[in-house]
Amino acid sequence: MRESHRIAFNVNGRRRSLDVAAHHTLLDVIRDDLELTGTKECCLVGECGACTVIVDGRVVDACLVLAVEADGAEITTVEGLAVDGDLAALQAAFLDTGAVQCGFCTPGQLIAAHALLAENPHPTIAEIQEGLAGNLCRCGCYGQITEAVRAVAGEIAP
Amino acid sequence: MRPFVYARPATLPEAVALLAAHGPDARILAGGTDLIIRLRDGSLAPAVVVDLKRIPELRAAIGEIGGRVTISAGTVMTDIAADSLVRRHFPALAEAAAVVGSVQIRNRATLAGNVCNASPAADTAPALLVYDAGIVAEGPGGSRHIRVDDFFVRSGVTTLARGELVRAIVLPLPTRRMGAVHVRRTRRRGHDLASVTLCCAVDDAGVTRIAYGSVGPRPVLRIDESGLLADPGASDAAKGALLEAMFAAASPSPRSMRASPEYRLAMLRVLGKRALATAIERLAKGE
Amino acid sequence: MSGPLRVAPVGCSPRRVGGHDRVTGFQRYAADIHLADELQARLVTIPVARARIISVDTRAARQVPGVRLVMTAADLPQPVPRFGPQFQDRPVLAVGEVKYHGEPVAAVAADSKDAAEEAARLVRVEYEELPAVFTLAAALDPAAPLVQDAALRPGDPLAGTNVLREHRVGWGDVDAATADLVVEHAYTFPIVTQFAIEPHVFMAAPDADGIAVWSSIQHPYWLQKILAGLLDLPLAKVRVLAPDPGGAFGGKQHTKYEPLVAFMARRAERPVRLVLTLEESFQAVRRAAAEVRVRTGFRTDGRLSFQDIEADYLIGAYADIADRVVGKGSYVGAGPYVTPDVRIVARSVLSHTLPSTAFRGFGNPQVNWAVESNLDEGARALGIDRLEIRLRNLAHRGDRFIPFDTPADGAWEQAVRRAAELIGWGSPLPPGRGRGIAVGIKSGPTTGLSYATVRLLADGSAVVYAGTSDMGQGARTVFAQIVSTELGVPLDWVAVVMGDTAVVSYDQQTSASRSTVLMGNAVLRACREIQAGLGAMAARLNGLDASAVIVEHGVVRLPGRELPIIDVLTPGLGPLGGELIGNGEMRKDAEPDHPLGGSAAFFEFNCTAIEAAVDEETGDVTIVRHVTVSDVGKAINPLQVRMQDEGAAIQGLGHTLMEHYVFDEAGRIRNLGAIDYRIPTSMDLPLEMQSDIIENEDGPGPYGSKGMSEGALLCVAPAVAAAVRDATGAVIRDLPLTPERVWRALRERTAR
Repeated sequence: MRESHRIAFNVNGRRRSLDVAAHHTLLDVIRDDLELTGTKECCLVGECGACTVIVDGRVVDACLVLAVEADGAEITTVEGLAVDGDLAALQAAFLDTGAVQCGFCTPGQLIAAHALLAENPHPTIAEIQEGLAGNLCRCGCYGQITEAVRAVAGEIAP
Repeated sequence: MRPFVYARPATLPEAVALLAAHGPDARILAGGTDLIIRLRDGSLAPAVVVDLKRIPELRAAIGEIGGRVTISAGTVMTDIAADSLVRRHFPALAEAAAVVGSVQIRNRATLAGNVCNASPAADTAPALLVYDAGIVAEGPGGSRHIRVDDFFVRSGVTTLARGELVRAIVLPLPTRRMGAVHVRRTRRRGHDLASVTLCCAVDDAGVTRIAYGSVGPRPVLRIDESGLLADPGASDAAKGALLEAMFAAASPSPRSMRASPEYRLAMLRVLGKRALATAIERLAKGE
Repeated sequence: MSGPLRVAPVGCSPRRVGGHDRVTGFQRYAADIHLADELQARLVTIPVARARIISVDTRAARQVPGVRLVMTAADLPQPVPRFGPQFQDRPVLAVGEVKYHGEPVAAVAADSKDAAEEAARLVRVEYEELPAVFTLAAALDPAAPLVQDAALRPGDPLAGTNVLREHRVGWGDVDAATADLVVEHAYTFPIVTQFAIEPHVFMAAPDADGIAVWSSIQHPYWLQKILAGLLDLPLAKVRVLAPDPGGAFGGKQHTKYEPLVAFMARRAERPVRLVLTLEESFQAVRRAAAEVRVRTGFRTDGRLSFQDIEADYLIGAYADIADRVVGKGSYVGAGPYVTPDVRIVARSVLSHTLPSTAFRGFGNPQVNWAVESNLDEGARALGIDRLEIRLRNLAHRGDRFIPFDTPADGAWEQAVRRAAELIGWGSPLPPGRGRGIAVGIKSGPTTGLSYATVRLLADGSAVVYAGTSDMGQGARTVFAQIVSTELGVPLDWVAVVMGDTAVVSYDQQTSASRSTVLMGNAVLRACREIQAGLGAMAARLNGLDASAVIVEHGVVRLPGRELPIIDVLTPGLGPLGGELIGNGEMRKDAEPDHPLGGSAAFFEFNCTAIEAAVDEETGDVTIVRHVTVSDVGKAINPLQVRMQDEGAAIQGLGHTLMEHYVFDEAGRIRNLGAIDYRIPTSMDLPLEMQSDIIENEDGPGPYGSKGMSEGALLCVAPAVAAAVRDATGAVIRDLPLTPERVWRALRERTAR
């Protein structure tokens, strides 16, 4: 009873078309089929945010989306943030403020922060903390991540 | 996750027919934030997963017609929390929607899914009870309206019949001025399941409505029409006895690991008192 | 910030080496690596804490299309091999009896994850549930079932009990000691888990005469040794590849399922890949719970006269490194104080719970919680300020506060005074607010052995080989900065190679905050060799005696002039090019007569001060300000130091305020997974976090550095509890300080 569905979506601006099993999540397909391993797998219950991607302009936990649901969607993963090999401002700010330690949560944090700034270019500290609360960082870089987002928002000097 | 058949009906009748045919072997997929967790942990293993998101009538929409605000089944928490109609008329529902999970969860989780799971801890349930919301169910026999207070049975169980799905949630526009608030208790400040969730509204006729969840098998609504609770001048002591009576229906499970019954009951009282004060204050300020 | 081609000397904070790949998603963690023809493995477990395995029926599982192997203990060499860093007690798969919730009974390997999952579900384990002990009281009951077969502990007088070992250390005579005030209380610390965001990953690939194993491990060389023993292979034929772990915190130090995947790969003759779920990671690693009873004797002036400490640690069914955690963690239990008489008795108590292992702080936070809290009790009873009582007792540089160990190696009072100043100690607070202050100390590595190789290539770029694991602490950056400083190489021109035992020389381990000191010194020594080579080159090129040339800080000094290194290197190497190679070794030998097998290479010292607000009705604790000050000797990279300290502080807030395992009545973990095991999010932070460092360049590491990164976690709990007490009068001796627990304590206070 293995159902397969033909789906097509744009990932980081590139058209991808593939067969997916009905019970495979968007995370499974991004990591295993598309081999975009920047999106991370951790809790698989939508708590940690390591698998955060943007689907049609909104952040979601890719572990809680069936791949087949994403048919026709516009998807951005961490690999899509840098432009022509140049780090996006947010990526650079993460490095400069010290928002990256082990780095495993970083892709999800960056995607969540990217979406937050797209919606709210000048967030308050509380808005940043609320907006990124779905992304756990066990190294405890929260303060530095907030600093990075504020730097990109122009609230503090980078 | 075990394999299943994925169905994506294009019309409401198609969806209803699928659900009617498969009964308990079919599960509805809306936001998936509960369903996919349970598919993975094996506590659910349906033969068919019915994705409702491509049905035009269910697509995300919030609109006002004939003195009611209708929230379609596909509407996610993010949209509810941000919607100007909801924020103006049902601010406590907007507050509740804004604390369901993280941003990632709120971008997927639907209000309809939240009520259909009938979790005692569902944060939107108390607000829906307070605002006297109704559920528009679509089934093999057509459409029917269920008062939300008649909808919840116990955790995971509602009065939806085989083949029925939720098409929309409707909220009658308040006929009186109201002050309302949603409050909750969690184990941390970041997103968490509520160990007590409560909504309180007072109106300018002195009616106080308090609904609370996570302290029993289903959320509970209690209404005080005496005017005492809503009276800003009444003493805490006078209100205390009345509040006690309103909270008498709480019976938290001793099995929960999130908080003991004793603590939940104590917090229910603290939250109730604080929410009442906030609701009165908001009514006075016209918020 | 560093632009391209800049020298990044020590003391500045360039971008993290490896940072670019981490922000672009290109960093390859273990789970991101796939091997050709690999099989996907899944573990088979049963939902019990303890059971006798009656039978394992694999027939249905084998029928699943794509399944290539279903392995049970019967398929392993007999007797089933056992391993462990301290005791060889853990079987590759459960033998006869499951001893903790989550212990694998079997494992399957299949062509796809789906097939492996399906097959794992179809393995039928028939078992008889047995009574389990999963609390200290139950495990220490004389009638308790024995967790470990006494036959595994020949000649051990404790073999008939669940006490694996008892550690006794002390000085003076506590029984004869007198005091003006004696304060005695018991404190508990719960089971908490590391919760690295990267779950554990294990892969093995056989080849003709050896094996390659990939693991998200901190100690690849220790793993190599264990695998060589289990597989009867020479070290040279066991290659361990250890990609940078995605967070480890001690939980990834020691061998877990690598032997299992190695045996599976050999049997299947294909690579086998096992990626644990977070739930399985929770069942693989955790910190030991503890109950600590402290009797503290004081003079009326607040001076300590004795400390009598009994600490029982609840370790798991197999020892892992837990007993070392108990021994070493309790060893400095009396704190950084000069105490005339001290007795510390610590016991490792086996139980039917998952094995506890290293976790940032390594056994110290449990005792520190008790000892520092008890010190506050004494101060209150004597009417002495809580800051003052610490300053009165604190060891000063050179004091032999532990008579048979390294003397106090820092101006610790500076850290305490700085923390007090930053928190505004003594200034008035609004009602409902309180302050707490506590100090923490941890013994650094007691032995160590690190080799480093540095190659200065013909174009002036450099490659460093260091067997440290960079799990977020930033070891790559520190080593690159040392090379940049010593050899004048721009930071972007330094490559740091780690994580492959076939390529990189031996390093004992990445633990105990050792790498900057031990590997850092090895890298520095390798640089010194290259500098000597450059000096010889410069002397030869200029017809000088080698003694007339000095090479330091990236330049070559000749009489009357100074040259960049490249200006010596290029002509010195000549037209064939080539390179200069430097090797460095840093060794800290064992001291057999020392209670820990060696004295501390350094002490990690931290002072934490907290201002907290408490909601009297709900028990909510808000950390208004969190000040953490560490004595680091010298910050080679100040930003990384800050990140480590603040990160450790937040991790400490986790076990202080919310983290703990909840067991059901049968010993199963109820809050298994991220939904009900809560850790701090970005919304659970102190309203204000301030970290500072003391730098006196008085450490044994390069440029006077000391190890750091655990210190800021050690004493968070007592500082927070003290602030809660200061704010409300509520006394709490059990962690975590959940709102419910604080609420109960507030009610008890009112009742008194």
